[in-house]
Amino acid sequence: MTARDFAIRYGFLLLLLGMVGLFGWLQPGFLTVPSAVFILQSVAITGILALGVTCTLVVGGFDLSIGAVATSALMLAAYVMVVWEMGALAAVGLCLLMGAGVGLVNGLLIVKMRVPDLLATLGMMFVLIGLQRIPTEGNSIATGMALPGGGVAQGTFSPAFLALGRYRLWDVVPLSVVFLLLVAVLVWVFLELTRHGRLMYAIGSNAQAAALAGTNVGAYRIGAYVISGTLAALGGILLAARLGRGDVASGNNLLLDSVAAALIGFAVLGASRPNAFGTAVGALFVGILLQGLTMLNAPYYTQDFVKGAVLVVALVFTFALTGRGARARA
Amino acid sequence: MITRRTLGRVAAALLASAALPALAQDRPAPFDNPGEVEIALVRYLSTGDFFQAYLAGVQRQADALGVSLRVFDSRQDAAVQADMVDQAIALGVDGIIIQHGLTESMREAAQRALDAGIPVVAFDVDVENEQIPQIEQSDRDLARLVLEQAVEDNGEEWVAAYVYVPGIAPLDRRNEVWVEFKERYPGIQEVAQFGTLDNPIANSVANQARAVLSANPNVQVVFAPYNEFARGVKIAVDEAGMSDRVSIYSADISTADIGAMREPGSAWKATAATNPAVVGEVSVRALAMLMAGEDPGRQVIVPPSLITQAQLNEENISSMEELSARIPAFAHADVAAPDWMPLPSAPQD
Repeated sequence: MTARDFAIRYGFLLLLLGMVGLFGWLQPGFLTVPSAVFILQSVAITGILALGVTCTLVVGGFDLSIGAVATSALMLAAYVMVVWEMGALAAVGLCLLMGAGVGLVNGLLIVKMRVPDLLATLGMMFVLIGLQRIPTEGNSIATGMALPGGGVAQGTFSPAFLALGRYRLWDVVPLSVVFLLLVAVLVWVFLELTRHGRLMYAIGSNAQAAALAGTNVGAYRIGAYVISGTLAALGGILLAARLGRGDVASGNNLLLDSVAAALIGFAVLGASRPNAFGTAVGALFVGILLQGLTMLNAPYYTQDFVKGAVLVVALVFTFALTGRGARARA
Repeated sequence: MITRRTLGRVAAALLASAALPALAQDRPAPFDNPGEVEIALVRYLSTGDFFQAYLAGVQRQADALGVSLRVFDSRQDAAVQADMVDQAIALGVDGIIIQHGLTESMREAAQRALDAGIPVVAFDVDVENEQIPQIEQSDRDLARLVLEQAVEDNGEEWVAAYVYVPGIAPLDRRNEVWVEFKERYPGIQEVAQFGTLDNPIANSVANQARAVLSANPNVQVVFAPYNEFARGVKIAVDEAGMSDRVSIYSADISTADIGAMREPGSAWKATAATNPAVVGEVSVRALAMLMAGEDPGRQVIVPPSLITQAQLNEENISSMEELSARIPAFAHADVAAPDWMPLPSAPQD
């Protein structure tokens, strides 16, 4: 293995380790168990969204609507519990259904209507940002709010639902972190170890060849958007459980952060392609960076700057250093 | 927001305007014949609880006067907002309220309205024009009220963390007060400053606040002068299990915030707020005075009220409506209210 290969394979992981060491040295509180748990919890939501978008990247697509799906799920969960006064199970079920439904519509638009993926999901993003505000006329949802139809919302967030975002196993590990790890493992197994996952990679690298080999390309592409939508809804559920209210938000920052995580993931272990492990590491990378910088009192704009710089470096790792890919394409 | 109560109020206002032509005639022109008066509200910001409540207040006062209201919503597009002022001029409205916006884009547009003989008032945007009254919620008073409460609760010596994003006018004004306070009470030691407007803001601020709290476990007071910030800090404090050691002081309030402040053992101790609906009412009243040829003054300031956790618990308040009903200072501001001005009926029957 040459030095160059080594840099490509392990460079990013070393960078991550170096960063952890640096923050630990500068800020004694950084290398502690609570701090590690904090970081995992802060990346749980974007991480889950990023894993969803990874699935669409694998089939050569893209899902711009995930941030809006997540905030729509946030509003829907709040609406179901506070206005309709239903339980946690109904809230979770309806949100996941909504996410899968949006994913299905995205997939049908892209595969059946032949709308380019960026445009279809962009349209869906706007639809959702508007739609989530219509039932409450633009207001946030909380117990005691006045309803447009008259009366006052009496329901509350069920404790079982809030536990999704707040309960801690053994008083240490928040449930949302467990969900992140679970989703990461499931997506990794699905993409790397099953026939379906391999076919999805095949579609991503050459859809025509995959189709000629007998793959139902359309179904797999639609499936990827359904996965993405469902995972985004799961992220929204966790967000709602953490906030304990239905906040009006566009979710654009969620979208950007999760896309950044997925793209950084290209560089991990020199994969040069979307992959679940890389995405998880990418999300962690961004989380550690922001947590450390905040502990050092760095203002928010420097954090955006650093986040962007990391993304650029990761993309350089992916596209420039992995010479094989570049030569193969040339 | 249309509740049964507001519907009732609207109905009452309609009845009143139909039944009391004699009263209306006592008002100065053009409000002696309000059916033919139309005012325009040109908005820059409109999404969120604050702006919804503001609009409700504008509507309420317009109804009380019996004038019709036309709402233009530019959705944070400065150029569109300027065009909308021109549109309002072309439609021949009798008065214009400019709600937020950028000085650079609104200065000329507002001047064009004045040139067309249309009175203009501006809320929270400085259009640099002597003839245009500024409606303001006093951010400085807001910050001062809540910080005085923090000193009363915690003494003059504490370790503070501060949430701030520079470049946002109301936050900048609140920041000035914080800087003065730190000078006046040298015992206040600020160990961390953070803040972000990445949305969902509460979630992003919660992530930051947790990093800050674990780096500075000795923090006693978090000054978070914007309710979205305070929500995020409260999530972080709860997650870190520090509710008994940390107190949060904020500004602004909503129904959900009242719930958060009243949770058992909540770290969110006090907030100061101006009722956005009242600001909306005052905007219309100031415009009406101007249209009637009276002078509301160059600056019309709507005073804020202090709202503490203890007060909410004592009065058993759980929503903005109840807050308005039980804390009269919050429900009504005696600003821009000459004798002839019809006021919207009190929120409680």
